[in-house]
Amino acid sequence: MIIGLVVIYAIGPMRANVLNSAYGANYDSNYFFLGQLRSVGLSLIAFFAAFKWIPYKYVQKFAKPLMILALFMSILLWLLASSGSSLAKCELGQCRWFNLGFISFQPAEFLKIALVFYLADFLARKKEEGTIGDIKDFWLPLAVVCGASLALVVVAQGDLGTGVALLAIIFGMLLVSGLSMHQFAIVALATVVLAVGSIIISPHRRERVETWFITLSGGESSDSTYHVDNAMLAIGVGGLFGAGIGNSVQATGYLPESINDSVFAIMGETFGFVGLFIILAIFATLLLRTLKVAEYTSDPENRLVIVGVFSWTLAQIVVNIMAMIGLVPVTGITLPLLSYGGTSMIFIAFALGLVLQFSCYTSREVIKDEDISSRRGVGRTYNSRSRRNS
Amino acid sequence: MPQSNSRIKILKNVTLLLFAVILVRLFFIQIVEHDAYLAKADEQHTLEKTITARRGEIYMMDGDEPVAVVLNQTRYQIVIDPTVTEKEDAKKVLETYAKEYKTADLDEVYGTENLRYAIIAKDVPRELAEEIAEADIPAIWLKKTNRRVYPEGEFASGLLGFVNDEGKGQYGVEGSLNEQLSGKDGLLKTTADVNKVALSIGNDNIKVPAEDGKNIILSIDRRLERRIEELALEAIDNTIATNASVLVMDPNTSKVLAMANLPNYNPDKYTEVANVDSFLNYTLEVPYEPASVCKTFTYSAAIEEGVMSPETTYFNKHFETIDGWQINNASKNDFLYGNVDMRRAFNWSLNTGSIHALKLLGGNPDSINQQGREKLYDYFYNKFHLGQFTGIELYEAAGLIQDPNEGWGRDSVYANMTFGQNLSITMLQTATAFSAAVNGGVWRTPSVVEGIYEDGEIKPFIKTEPVIEETILSEQTSATMRELLISNRSNIKRPGYDMGGKTGTGEVVREGAYTENFAELIGSYVGFIATEGELPKYVIMVKMWGEGKDVVASDAMDLFNSVSDYMINYYKIKPKE
Repeated sequence: MIIGLVVIYAIGPMRANVLNSAYGANYDSNYFFLGQLRSVGLSLIAFFAAFKWIPYKYVQKFAKPLMILALFMSILLWLLASSGSSLAKCELGQCRWFNLGFISFQPAEFLKIALVFYLADFLARKKEEGTIGDIKDFWLPLAVVCGASLALVVVAQGDLGTGVALLAIIFGMLLVSGLSMHQFAIVALATVVLAVGSIIISPHRRERVETWFITLSGGESSDSTYHVDNAMLAIGVGGLFGAGIGNSVQATGYLPESINDSVFAIMGETFGFVGLFIILAIFATLLLRTLKVAEYTSDPENRLVIVGVFSWTLAQIVVNIMAMIGLVPVTGITLPLLSYGGTSMIFIAFALGLVLQFSCYTSREVIKDEDISSRRGVGRTYNSRSRRNS
Repeated sequence: MPQSNSRIKILKNVTLLLFAVILVRLFFIQIVEHDAYLAKADEQHTLEKTITARRGEIYMMDGDEPVAVVLNQTRYQIVIDPTVTEKEDAKKVLETYAKEYKTADLDEVYGTENLRYAIIAKDVPRELAEEIAEADIPAIWLKKTNRRVYPEGEFASGLLGFVNDEGKGQYGVEGSLNEQLSGKDGLLKTTADVNKVALSIGNDNIKVPAEDGKNIILSIDRRLERRIEELALEAIDNTIATNASVLVMDPNTSKVLAMANLPNYNPDKYTEVANVDSFLNYTLEVPYEPASVCKTFTYSAAIEEGVMSPETTYFNKHFETIDGWQINNASKNDFLYGNVDMRRAFNWSLNTGSIHALKLLGGNPDSINQQGREKLYDYFYNKFHLGQFTGIELYEAAGLIQDPNEGWGRDSVYANMTFGQNLSITMLQTATAFSAAVNGGVWRTPSVVEGIYEDGEIKPFIKTEPVIEETILSEQTSATMRELLISNRSNIKRPGYDMGGKTGTGEVVREGAYTENFAELIGSYVGFIATEGELPKYVIMVKMWGEGKDVVASDAMDLFNSVSDYMINYYKIKPKE
């Protein structure tokens, strides 16, 4: 499944990159492709590492320190950025990366996975202790950790997209944590109120939402609707079968972020409705499979991790795609496994690797060993696996 | 895990719902509205650009080498988006680099609401444009423009013309030969990226390359033209004339070697020229009455017809009355009264003499008749090609030779025509006809274009008008005319040279009538230079005038003399040994 995606995504954006580099900076024409190839390589390593070599038990032990480390890194980045250090890499005025010379690293991505581990550990423990829903033992620490994470990402890094992903992780995991529906609803409502408030007080976010309304209502295009207009234009041009590989005109600079956040639109132009349908089907299968694994996982903590990964992936996919087709405001979020951008892909791959690892411990243990060997042999198509599992 | 699994079901349903929404939306965008998006994309991606053809340059001859007198130069416009660039920044750039090229008031530009595009300077040279580009002010950008450059300033402006703001040639060579000079613009229609760089994507890309304009080489001798302009300006300074035109022609080829119209104007600042008359090339665009100069043609006709010789005599009583009009001679000296021969009448420019020639053409020495008129018309119009287009490559006026039979008072009209009044002809027509009269009798279509300059070679220029070369006078008649013309200058003979010429002082027609009491006169002179005993090498025609000024032929003759003196030196015309 991953490999199938890699193929698509190695071709599509590569072309975009080649064209991108044709003007602008002095990027080698293969610069983006090689960069992406490196990310894919690292992602595959991360995926197999998570799947085969790192038993979750170890990760579980480090859930808390990892979370602290993740928060610390975000704080460090914030401090570096404020002091104007060259170790903080900034783009368009938002400082979201550590600059490590040969590679850049986005701590927000690390924060997401750390939060998944931490919440899994935390929620499972509270469940065992029976203190779920308790103000002091449950809500207070939860609010502190989640609040800090959100604040660092949304406020310090200006990264609303990751904020949405974090919220999805938090609520997805809370939903299956055993929390009462009643309390869940109250917290969800409170968050919505908070989110609306934050939109109203920030002119930047308010503008994005206004833009979105304009697009949704089919209003006049303007400078602010440029991104969405061109994303939808790319998708619309694609038609049923698409313009074909390498024939995307929108990728030649009309569509901003064509290789990362907007890659879905370029794929729409390149592969058409049929192509997007297949991509969506693959994503849907991936997500539903993940849920199925969760269903069959008896260990509550493992199950929480899986739901966390699920929520995270779902949020990124849905928010990214919906932004491209004008259904939600543009937030600047990557499309999992397809967008150019190393850190995001590596962490998602790692997380999915873990899910696959858990799938081996499902209650239907019968096929476990065979399953793994056969997957390694044939290159793991989805169908072979699904038939065996279900 | 019943509760937990039911919640997972919620997640599953949410997932399916979200994906369903996405798919429906995609279906609408990609299938239902596909065509609309295609149309929109076409609009956004298609770049339709005119590939501007390079305008041909204009050359003059310097010896055997063509030298450019009109060039092209890349200049730049400074354009700003006042909403992006701070006024102080824009001001700094403008003041530092392009002060003298400023075309707009910055305060005004910044005061205009919703203005996103303003040209603030024009014709900025490349060096300065580069410095501005280096200053790197956002939303100040430079737009390439092609500018016509006249490196010699006002030089030969009446001949060359200028190019207007739309890139179209106006007046002179620029206007007349605009089509050849401008070439043909090409067209580029292509899918382009956001920076308007053409892409190879797409199937209906069109590229029609531009056909650059031709480089025109004029037969004008650059150094001669320059010197003549200087001499003409001096002549204007030294006389009451305000204007002077000089035309130099090779009588054996009808090639024009100089065409000066003074005063010149500055083609770079053509918008500052108050009177459009200043743009005219008076040597061929403005017909007039060259007056007694035309006696040359009347005499040629009568001699060629064999009805007259320089020794033919008639009785001169200083005037003639025809159709009730009294026609006077300018010189009424007593010693001219009585029997005079035609040579003396020519030398003293007696109007009664040329009227007598007309009578002889009609076969009746006592009166003008239809045959005489028709013969004169035949010579003037058909043979000397007066009052019609000469067929030169430039804009020209036709002028008019009146019909010999139609209309009232033909006899008086034709009597006037014998000494160059009551007709309207251009200097070029006059000089070409004069060339035929002195070169052995051959009339040739005049030309001012030597060829096309291409890859360092002179290639022939394809003329649209037919080139005519016809013998209109016998060599004998031509020789007699040369002798008569030389005798006109016997008092200023230059040893070793044969130089002949004829003066003409014409009254000016204003609002359909001659000015009263000769209130405005035009002085003309046409003559030739030759080594003694040889055929003429050059024909020079001079015209001097000024509004409301009595400019007489002797002023024109003085300028002829200084030009011919210069040319004898310049062309190293040897005297007879």
